[in-house]
Amino acid sequence: MAATVYDKQNLKGKIKKKTFRYIQIILCSILTVGCIFPLIWLIDFSLVKANELFGPKVLVWPKQPHWENYRLALTDGKVPQYLLNSVIVSVISVGLIVILSVMMSYGFKRMRWRLSNVFLNLVLIGFMIPIHATLLSNFITFTELKIQDSYIALIIPYVAFNLPQATFIMSGFMDSIPDAIEESALMDGCSIFRLLFTIVLPIMKPAIMTVMITAFLNVWNEFIMAATYLTSYRFRTLPFSVYNFSGMYSSNYSAQFAVMALSAFPSLIAYVILNKHITKGIAAGAVKG
Amino acid sequence: MIFALVFPGLLVYTFAVLYPIFKSFYYGMTDWKAIGEYNIIGFENYRKVVFEDKVFVTSLLNAAVLAVCTVLIQHPVAMFFAIIVDKLGGKLESFFRAVLFIPCVISIVVTSKMWVNVFNSSYGLVNKFLDAIHLGFLKHDWLGDPKVALYSVVFVIMWQGFGYAFLIYYSGIKGIPEVLFEAGKIDGANSWQQFIKITYPMLKPVILVNVSIAITSSLKQMEPIYLMTNGGPGTKTQFIANYLYSQAFSAQKYGYANAIAVVFVVICLITNIIVQKIFTPKDM
Repeated sequence: MAATVYDKQNLKGKIKKKTFRYIQIILCSILTVGCIFPLIWLIDFSLVKANELFGPKVLVWPKQPHWENYRLALTDGKVPQYLLNSVIVSVISVGLIVILSVMMSYGFKRMRWRLSNVFLNLVLIGFMIPIHATLLSNFITFTELKIQDSYIALIIPYVAFNLPQATFIMSGFMDSIPDAIEESALMDGCSIFRLLFTIVLPIMKPAIMTVMITAFLNVWNEFIMAATYLTSYRFRTLPFSVYNFSGMYSSNYSAQFAVMALSAFPSLIAYVILNKHITKGIAAGAVKG
Repeated sequence: MIFALVFPGLLVYTFAVLYPIFKSFYYGMTDWKAIGEYNIIGFENYRKVVFEDKVFVTSLLNAAVLAVCTVLIQHPVAMFFAIIVDKLGGKLESFFRAVLFIPCVISIVVTSKMWVNVFNSSYGLVNKFLDAIHLGFLKHDWLGDPKVALYSVVFVIMWQGFGYAFLIYYSGIKGIPEVLFEAGKIDGANSWQQFIKITYPMLKPVILVNVSIAITSSLKQMEPIYLMTNGGPGTKTQFIANYLYSQAFSAQKYGYANAIAVVFVVICLITNIIVQKIFTPKDM
């Protein structure tokens, strides 16, 4: 008798647990749909003719995908050209951010000099300074130096504004690793820069991954500096294909949607491939930042 | 040697981050209109920004609304779902975690322009959806109606940042030792008790960090506003960064805009210091 009562309670508990789990899954699904439904809507209507947008349906089934939208996006939207600019600017910027932040945090953390903490804090103040407050004077400075409208006009501020966070992550990580190996290498007469590139960089790999990911997302999606410092189309980055195209085809909404979908595509692909590293890197960077 | 290590980084940083602020401080004391000659007029611009400019006050209040909404709506929702997703386990857990972060990897230009279309009054998704579920009377010109525009903008910013808030809480929860929950279960704690007695106290440092990020970043919003409403209708959705930008490049009040920029930096520094004083966990 006692055994069946126990079984019944156990079964009840199990059912309760199962229902609980289903409720959790349903709630998560609702949230997920809410989060990405606008994106689905966008992609859906990028595949049909513009006038179908004005029908009553929330979503339509594109019987024959209207690829013309994507053709326009690739040609008049100049997506490939902007993509190339984005790649060039991002790769150079992220490379510089990693190298400079490793060098700086080594100089601040491993070398003993009187003002090291003062300068480290000076760099960390950059966290608090809004980029937007520098747009006006940097625009003037770049014009005076005649470097406006070039890759450099983007790379310099991108590097500068990502250095505080990068240096913070790097120097935090450096605090956590022992310096015995470096000391013995120095004893053996290894030069500082060789030491940095052959011994320190490999040890710093987790921190470097974090810095690369956060910096890359920042740089890749940056818009307002690019909008301010670049005046011609030649050097503009991917976000601009959307911006320019919506002016050119102001009433062809479906074609605009196609441009948006196309310019979101590269980062989506990268995210799908690297998703574990990205979420880990972001979490590490944010918690430490 | 030290010089060679830190100089390149410091140079770039000083050139593009620190120097511009001093330069703005100088231009803020002029009546420059972006072209031609200008006169030094002392602290007149700064006085106007701080004491007379109503739009500046509106911008600050809007940032406050955004901060309050983020902390009271986005964060509780993000934390709630972080706890649920953490319990799912396996493939479902990684699926939801991955998908919820998608809006964060897409360029803000794409998402902002997308929301302009989603909010469009004649073909937008929101109004069509309301029609479809027979709630047509709730339809609005979401970005054009002065009554709702600010909340539409706030909603988009919360939507875009949700993945970050979620992810930080999620990894905070992952950092809580499983043993604690098992001990709680043995003692017969239900989900709510687990949350109050284990999750919340263990998560407190993460919450504090997350909330301070939310407050300081609310001040710095610009791109979504610039791309969706440009501060309008009127100045209903104006934020400081967008305001100074439009004062410089549309209104050609370059000197005045630089004064705003300097006051903006000062406000950000002060807010950061206050937030850090209040929110830094004692044991960190």
